[in-house]
Amino acid sequence: MNIKIAGLILLFLTFINFNSLANSNNSTPVALNIELTLKQQNGQYHPPYVASWIENSQGKPVRTLLLWREKAKWLKDIRRWWRKVGKKDAELVDGITSATRITGKYPLSFLAESDNKKRLPQGKYTLFIEVVRENGGRAIIRQPFSLNGEKATFRLAATNETDEITFLVTPQ
Amino acid sequence: MNLNKMFAITLTCAISTQAVAHSRWVLPTHFNLSAEKGEWIMVDITASNETFNVDKAMGADLVSIVMPDGKSTRPSSTYKGHRKSVADYFVEDSGTYRITNNSKAAYMTSYTVDGVHKRLWANKMELKGKLPAQATEIKTTYRYSRIESYVTLNAPTNNFKTDGKLLELIPITHPSDIAENEKVTFKFLFNGKVQKNVSVEVTADGSRYRNDPQTVKLTSNENGEVHFIPTAAGRYLLVAEHQENTPNSAFADQQMGSVFLTFEAQLN
Repeated sequence: MNIKIAGLILLFLTFINFNSLANSNNSTPVALNIELTLKQQNGQYHPPYVASWIENSQGKPVRTLLLWREKAKWLKDIRRWWRKVGKKDAELVDGITSATRITGKYPLSFLAESDNKKRLPQGKYTLFIEVVRENGGRAIIRQPFSLNGEKATFRLAATNETDEITFLVTPQ
Repeated sequence: MNLNKMFAITLTCAISTQAVAHSRWVLPTHFNLSAEKGEWIMVDITASNETFNVDKAMGADLVSIVMPDGKSTRPSSTYKGHRKSVADYFVEDSGTYRITNNSKAAYMTSYTVDGVHKRLWANKMELKGKLPAQATEIKTTYRYSRIESYVTLNAPTNNFKTDGKLLELIPITHPSDIAENEKVTFKFLFNGKVQKNVSVEVTADGSRYRNDPQTVKLTSNENGEVHFIPTAAGRYLLVAEHQENTPNSAFADQQMGSVFLTFEAQLN
């Protein structure tokens, strides 16, 4: 019995060691909090299609955080996201798709991980938020940020499609 | 928008081109599509010197669509009007489609009689008895024009097969990836070989509403490439020409190839 328990503990320790070893090249987990606001609009209103994603310092997309959409026909109108991410990866699009939202405030949290759930290495990145509305306009927000072990707070200026958005980078 | 700043990268400076005919183009309603079960597109076909306002009737009989699997097909229907033709086509499978309205390769002999320039469609071997006795400045050119554009549904494919005939354009930057403020690279081949000094002109949509058409002139470098950066999103017409003398040919004095490529630079 005691041997069994000892064995289990050993197994458990091995597991922890393995995990910390696997992450030894990376920083600690980092939380990304976005308080996304879709602006109140006048007149005919169709909820916007929204994508938010992260590109690395070479402009290569590393993670799509969210995709709010309805028909595939209009995905191409989320211009930059479709060109850089959507058109190339139908599986990813299906995996992250969620319904469109109406005007309002949406608190969202993510971990700074790649599309395949690997922790993003330290470095410089850009957060993108692209909002496109039928009979409305398009807004694209770019916010550079760093994963360097430090906490950061960004206030993203309002656009025609969004009110001020708060973006927090918080190492855990 | 400042179109004067449109192209920041030019490897060589402008040289004059000898445009011998109207610009021609195929202009699709969409260059990039997203759909689960396909989408209809329509394509304008015209000859005009005012990008992209249509002018002269041009038939759609030669319109061909190379599908992502490499097979060629025809539009499902076409209409020929006095200013343009229109083709209808259902884009079904994901991938990149190449839409062409290439000319038939032909020999054209130009000559001058009493100071007036004339031309006839014949090669040097066929000229006997067809030219006036007093004709001067006789020159026969073997010509072939490619009039093309690319439309991509969902994931792009490299539908850029070449055939080695006179002038060809290979998009190094995929047409579905062209965006404002990003560098574009195209490569030119002539008779299947990398060709330097190809004359290239790029004009943005809407020249009717500008005093200066702001055409940007480029020439291909040693690698047959031109580079440029569109600083405004929109549609563009690229016209490329190259000619060479053919002293060993019994049929022509020179050969000339042209490429008319329509593309869009997307919002970034």
